[in-house]
Amino acid sequence: MGNFSQLVYLVPLFPLVGFLINGLLWNKMPKSLAGIIGSAAILASFCVSLGIFFEVKSASFHEPVIVTLFDFIQSGKLHIPLAFQVDQLSSLFLLIITGVGFLIHVYSASYMSHDEGMVKYFAYLNLFVFSMLLLILGANYLVMFIGWEGVGLCSYLLIGFWFKKREYTNAAKKAFVMNRIGDLGFLVGMLLVLYNFGTLSYKEFFATLGTSGATMPPATITAITICFFIGATGKSAQIPLYTWLPDAMAGPTPVSALIHAATMVTAGIYMIARSHVLYSLAPFTLNIIAIVGLATALLAATIAIFQYDIKKVLAYSTVSQLGFMFLAIGSGAYTIAVFHVMTHAFFKALMFLGSGSVIHAMGGEQDIRKMGGLGKKMKITSVTFLIGCLAISGFPLLSGFFSKDAILTAAYAHNPILYALGVLAAMMTAFYMFRLYVLTFRGTFRGTHEQEHHLHESPAAMTIPLIVLAILSVIGGYVGIPEVFTHKELAFNEYLGPVVKNFGIHEIPENTEIMLMTVSTLASLAMMYFAMMKFRKPAFPESTGIAKVLENKWYVDELYDAIIVRPIEAMSGVLDRFVEKMGIDGIVNGVGKTVKWGGDRLRMLQTGQVGFYIFIMVIGMVALFTLSFFWIR
Amino acid sequence: MTAIIATTVFGIIMMFTGLFVDNKKTVSSIAAVLFVALLGINIMELSDATGPALRSMTLSLLGTADNTNGAFPQLLFNNMLRIDKMSMWFGTAMTACTALYILLIGKEFRKVGTHVAEYFALIFFILCGLYILTAYNSMLMLFIGIEIMSIPQYVLAGSDKRNLKSSEASLKYFLMGAFSTGILLMGITLLYGATRTFNVTEMVPMLHSESLNPLAISGIVFIMVALGFKVSAAPMHTWTPDVYDGTPTAFTAFMATIVKAGVFFAFLRLFHVSFGNISEHWLMILAIVTALTLLIGNVTAVYQQSVKRMLAYSSIAQAGFMLFSVLAVSSNIAWNGIILYGVAYSVATIGVFAVLVKMKDYTYDGFNGLAKKNPLLAFVTTIFLFSLAGIPLTGGFMAKYYVLLAVMHQGNMMWLVIFALLMAAISVYYYFRVIIAMYFKQGDPELTSEVTMGDQVLLIATTIIVILLGVMPHWFLMPA
Repeated sequence: MGNFSQLVYLVPLFPLVGFLINGLLWNKMPKSLAGIIGSAAILASFCVSLGIFFEVKSASFHEPVIVTLFDFIQSGKLHIPLAFQVDQLSSLFLLIITGVGFLIHVYSASYMSHDEGMVKYFAYLNLFVFSMLLLILGANYLVMFIGWEGVGLCSYLLIGFWFKKREYTNAAKKAFVMNRIGDLGFLVGMLLVLYNFGTLSYKEFFATLGTSGATMPPATITAITICFFIGATGKSAQIPLYTWLPDAMAGPTPVSALIHAATMVTAGIYMIARSHVLYSLAPFTLNIIAIVGLATALLAATIAIFQYDIKKVLAYSTVSQLGFMFLAIGSGAYTIAVFHVMTHAFFKALMFLGSGSVIHAMGGEQDIRKMGGLGKKMKITSVTFLIGCLAISGFPLLSGFFSKDAILTAAYAHNPILYALGVLAAMMTAFYMFRLYVLTFRGTFRGTHEQEHHLHESPAAMTIPLIVLAILSVIGGYVGIPEVFTHKELAFNEYLGPVVKNFGIHEIPENTEIMLMTVSTLASLAMMYFAMMKFRKPAFPESTGIAKVLENKWYVDELYDAIIVRPIEAMSGVLDRFVEKMGIDGIVNGVGKTVKWGGDRLRMLQTGQVGFYIFIMVIGMVALFTLSFFWIR
Repeated sequence: MTAIIATTVFGIIMMFTGLFVDNKKTVSSIAAVLFVALLGINIMELSDATGPALRSMTLSLLGTADNTNGAFPQLLFNNMLRIDKMSMWFGTAMTACTALYILLIGKEFRKVGTHVAEYFALIFFILCGLYILTAYNSMLMLFIGIEIMSIPQYVLAGSDKRNLKSSEASLKYFLMGAFSTGILLMGITLLYGATRTFNVTEMVPMLHSESLNPLAISGIVFIMVALGFKVSAAPMHTWTPDVYDGTPTAFTAFMATIVKAGVFFAFLRLFHVSFGNISEHWLMILAIVTALTLLIGNVTAVYQQSVKRMLAYSSIAQAGFMLFSVLAVSSNIAWNGIILYGVAYSVATIGVFAVLVKMKDYTYDGFNGLAKKNPLLAFVTTIFLFSLAGIPLTGGFMAKYYVLLAVMHQGNMMWLVIFALLMAAISVYYYFRVIIAMYFKQGDPELTSEVTMGDQVLLIATTIIVILLGVMPHWFLMPA
């Protein structure tokens, strides 16, 4: 086995080079070449990641490998290197990011081929992968933060990629601002860590926590964990900062698949899983996380049921699934959360790419009320999309089944109420997913005649990634077959075990576990059937009552607008008028004017007369003498 | 030691050259060669391998035996001079700056008047004074050094005889210089009265903090005023704008930079070595002088319309910063601070003056549109001004950082550091006005002479030095 972990710097290097080539030559590069360069860079990273993964998986790998490139900040006692950490957790994320990332790059090369900004698009996409890899690989919080900000920037750039449309740039701005609120939390948490522990390096920080964590004041630990969690709610779209994610669908669909489903939005999960030593010391925060996660899962699921935009349904579904992951974290089952990150990356990327294929075929139409019956024209898209729906709904033996049931089991172990509400959210998931599937691919076509004529299956560059992801969605769960079936330690847990230790999970009896699994599976299956029946003959009456509220997303955007945005705008208006214009400008201009006035006065001392000069000098000397004899003593 | 003799001999050679060589170009070339040779002698003397050999050779030429075993520090002429490594390093650095100055501006001497060789000779003599000031071990040598330095400057200031402003500058400088010489002598006398010695090190045990002779305090204040006059510290600065403005630009560049840095080194040496133990008696006075210098230099510079006059005020302001190194009595980086500041300030100011002598109109408006007419000239000027303003990645930033850091180590001077930073912020205003004029204003600036290939190479080299000073300052500091 080669020593791949020492080559880890290559993994982010390739996308960076890809970004530089495409970014610097954006006006000279032919479109097709840009796609090839962009995809090849990610493929190269994927190959190195694969090597790293197998090295980490081999029995000879024990300690995390830290590769230090150079000292980033060196000031007094503070020492922060730019270093990468290779261990089980980071190598797994490497595979997900570069693997899924590569498929989406290939897909994009075809999807974006008619767009004039394609070179720019690939430059951004590579920059995103680079930032995401920095986030994952950093051996300290600062490097993670650099990546964290980098992915935020790329997300902003790609959401507003079609910047000529006003609403798209607004969506980009919204995403950026929401993320910034979270980032502030992360930053404050980081500074608290630095202040209390004097280091940002994972290794030193966790070692200190391991030896003296129990004696630290709980308030400190809780404050840090809450701050980090605020960061996570921003990036991973949880209550109260989730509203940017559905709007982020303004970006090109492959971007939604890569950034807003498979990778970036899971950064919050990664951060907390990485800091699990810290979180295990803060049961209070874990409870908050569980509640927030579950509430987000339920809220987003209710909204998803009433959306008519194919991408919006998927976006709310993503928010809901992220809520599930946080539920797992809150229950102390960090590895299960990571497991769900992985399976979710497969099936959600698959469904986004599938929806992209649909939108492509429909000529840009995203309203499912105008679709229907597409399955006949688009066999591959339809079948792969169905696989995705089955996987996310927890159809037995598909990937989502294993990860979702593991989450629900962990939630039950933590608190049965969490389990009950979790099952409710899972049922809603099954319902809205099949509603989406049936409305899109079954029944008869409801769009215009022209659109129907135009319908076609997408080219191979788009369908092959779909097929690969569909296969992964089917088999991706077998790394985590529950213990009740195999009577062995969960293979996935075994892999992550050396770096991520779950916290406070009670053993539950096997019979109970099987029963829980049966209940949730049957409930989901029932909802699938119900949805199939209900939407076979669809009608779209004007929504009323609660449905109208849900269609308008609980009016959360309007609520934020009323209670946060408008008061701030009013306040800044007041500040602008009184503090800024009269106060600060007055002081600043006043200082300038005073200096100029002083210069003008002092200039007058320069009379040009030697006698006067000597007079000044003598006066000065007398003053100095007076001072030194009468004041200094 | 060898350098002191060499510079005197070279000065005499230049005077004879003036007698026998008529071609001004030849004279300039000879001068340039001699300056480079002087730099070589300095470097040789500094280097451990050749230094002792060179000195014993010189001493044997003078008919004196070498009794110092070739190691630094060397005590010479009955302990009148004490050449240590720091003084050699500083002398060499200043010689290098002078060589750069001669290469950049030397050919402008021809425009000043007919006695080109004599101008060079005077500069050699000024350097002689500078070497003595770096190495004096006796108050008498301090006085002699100051005078050797000053008298040629009076002549240089009035070298443009047909120009009334130049003559006025010379007379003004001379009158006020004479006044300050008297004060310096007075101070030395009082101090001698208090300690019964002229020797800089021997007087240290005579100066006790508890029972300090009032004569000594008076002497220190007089010396402070006299040296403050030479470095144009407020309120002894009044001569500076008039003299620098009236002096031919080619010589202002020298007087405002290398000469001033030399006096600062002497200032630092005296106040740290001799008066370091009794610093509580003069530190606050000097701090007030520093604050006043910074205030007057920066605030008055804001109102100037002529770049040359602005540079005169800027030299007052920069002197305020260099005074920080004198203030940092208990800091061991003060010496390196003054070396770095002296070099960084000299190189950047010489660079600006090298551009200024090429301009026909010295007002800000005269620089309008220079970036379009000659991008290189505008660019290098920008870098030099960045350095003077203390923008990071240039020498000026590092120099300011060093001297301010030295004072921070001192403690209880925080107010002065903050004040200095505010003043540095004001300085950005008048330095950047030039940049704004060059880049953002329309105009057609006239140049007095063509910018030759050689000029361009030298200006770029100077720019590189300015940036190296900011990025690799330790290359210019004495190795520990």
